[in-house]
Amino acid sequence: MEIIRKISSKFTELFDKMKHNKKRIKNISTQLVIYALLITISYVFLFPLLSMISLAFMSPTDIINPEVDWIPKALYFGNFGAAVRVLDIYKTLFNSIWFSGSLAIAQTIVSALTGYAFARYDFRFKKLLFALILVSFIVPVPIILIPRIMMIVSVQDTIGISLIGTVIPQLVMGLFGQGVNSAILILIFYNFFKMIPNVLYEAAKIDGANAYQQFWHITIRISLSTIIVVFLFSFVWNWNETYVTEILVRNNVKLMPTQLGIFETLFFQRPVDIPGQDNTALLSEAYKMAATLLTMIPLFIIYFAAQKQFVEGIEKTGITGE
Amino acid sequence: MAKKMSDKVILKAIKRSTHQNKQAYLFLLPWLIGFVIFTIGPFFYTVYLSFYDVESTGLGWVTTFVGMDNYIVALFRNLYYLPALIDFIILEITYVPAVVIASFIIGILLNRNIKFRSGFRTIFFLPVIVLSGSVMDQLIATGSTRLSDFSENIIFQMLMNYNRGVARGLLNLFENFTMVLWFTGIPVILFINGLQKINTQLYEAAKIDGATTWQILWKITVPIIKPTAMIVAIFTIVQIGMYSINPIYGIIKTAMYNFGAGLGLASAYTWIYTLVVLVFVGIAMLVLSSREKKQVVKLSSIQRLNFERIKDKRDSASKEDNNGNN
Repeated sequence: MEIIRKISSKFTELFDKMKHNKKRIKNISTQLVIYALLITISYVFLFPLLSMISLAFMSPTDIINPEVDWIPKALYFGNFGAAVRVLDIYKTLFNSIWFSGSLAIAQTIVSALTGYAFARYDFRFKKLLFALILVSFIVPVPIILIPRIMMIVSVQDTIGISLIGTVIPQLVMGLFGQGVNSAILILIFYNFFKMIPNVLYEAAKIDGANAYQQFWHITIRISLSTIIVVFLFSFVWNWNETYVTEILVRNNVKLMPTQLGIFETLFFQRPVDIPGQDNTALLSEAYKMAATLLTMIPLFIIYFAAQKQFVEGIEKTGITGE
Repeated sequence: MAKKMSDKVILKAIKRSTHQNKQAYLFLLPWLIGFVIFTIGPFFYTVYLSFYDVESTGLGWVTTFVGMDNYIVALFRNLYYLPALIDFIILEITYVPAVVIASFIIGILLNRNIKFRSGFRTIFFLPVIVLSGSVMDQLIATGSTRLSDFSENIIFQMLMNYNRGVARGLLNLFENFTMVLWFTGIPVILFINGLQKINTQLYEAAKIDGATTWQILWKITVPIIKPTAMIVAIFTIVQIGMYSINPIYGIIKTAMYNFGAGLGLASAYTWIYTLVVLVFVGIAMLVLSSREKKQVVKLSSIQRLNFERIKDKRDSASKEDNNGNN
């Protein structure tokens, strides 16, 4: 009897499975379609990067060789040597780090203050000013850059210290909350600060803390992770910003992205000795791609170290709600 | 006595609020000063400058009124500006919808429960971090962004005969589709975030009513996600202008780089360009603005009507009851 019961139960299970199978097949097929789509899209996303990496490792003969399409016959590092010398990488890397770093610090401080004011207080014209933050994001940069240049030049003439060609103009703008994508940074802070329960502040008030103590001892202490995210965003965006930087800094401070922008000119200025080739080595795509890869490596490192925080940071802007 | 108390309370509240105002504005001060001096002031000053000739002399900046000259030079004398402007308009028209739609589709795909979700998200967000103008230039210059050559495609040949401008725009879009996708980094995150905020009960209710997935997409998801789409569109319109794939970019930059003279002309260039951008922003707002508010009003009025009806019915029922009792 036991056996029969077992067998019958097995059979009912099997029938149930059969019923489920139809649904399952449908599910699996939709899943497959989704994966196929996502993989195709990722391929298109990564295509330029992949071809950059493959080109960067190609030897001169590989580039000419029509048989070599994607994978070079042997890993060739000569391109990187050339790129390092043309870009003067150690100096430019150092420059880029302190340049973007100082701008990022300035931006982070001001964004925190502004975000705090909006999150914590109710004040007159709050809605108007909040809208203005968004407006400041829409206004194209070129149109506000001309008077900025004139201002900087005027100040430069009156105080007699050259400002064009230094980090100072951008630093000042950053300190006044008008740096790269400042609006997004403010929004990230605003949305995080809004989540801090009011009870904390009230408790602090009862203990006699004034506004600055409240800001410093409560808000800043709690939001260390957000501060780091904003700093990283600001750092990366300042690093990548070339439009304003090229006009205001010119070539005085040699930064990686701007040097990459004039790679061709630099290449012929700084002759590269590559063994087995003439001094006037032909500028090949491989050198360019090696240089591009080199300038991207610091950003790759930052990204993969903190990619979760980056994505969450954008989610925290909360521009999708409200 | 009671009145006096309330007066005192109100006075206290006012005092407190002005105190709060002061504190808030102290925190806001740096940004506010910066916004006035470095953003909104310059914005209008550039418009003003575009009617002037600006020269840098030993005594500072000297401006002389020249009327519409700068605009005439920009639009009619400069052989490169107007074609570049038209190219820019084509670029915006083709890229912005493509970016919005592509990021919406990616957002929907990533919003499902799938494996390697975070891995895909990492890939799609990558351009936001690693993409600088010069990197993009180098990749474009070496042809790494080109997927394949569509110009020999028969459909494009036909389009070319029909309308060159449209064909060129579409060709550019398809050949550089990677560029389109690279602008979807932040939009995808915004869409995913927006999609996750949709109440799942809505979907369930629709499913019970027998709606197909397609219907659910168009009747529920799209209307709810529209405000997000508007933000994405505006964001994209602004972002595209910041890279050198924008044809005007180079012209404005060279005009600005030599700031010894010709900043007036540069102002005219940028002002025309900004107007175009703002018009696009306006169009995006018009097309994608949600009618949610009107619907809410409608719903509330319906609610009120129903409520009144129910009330009437109840009243009449109770009256009848009373009559019956009597």
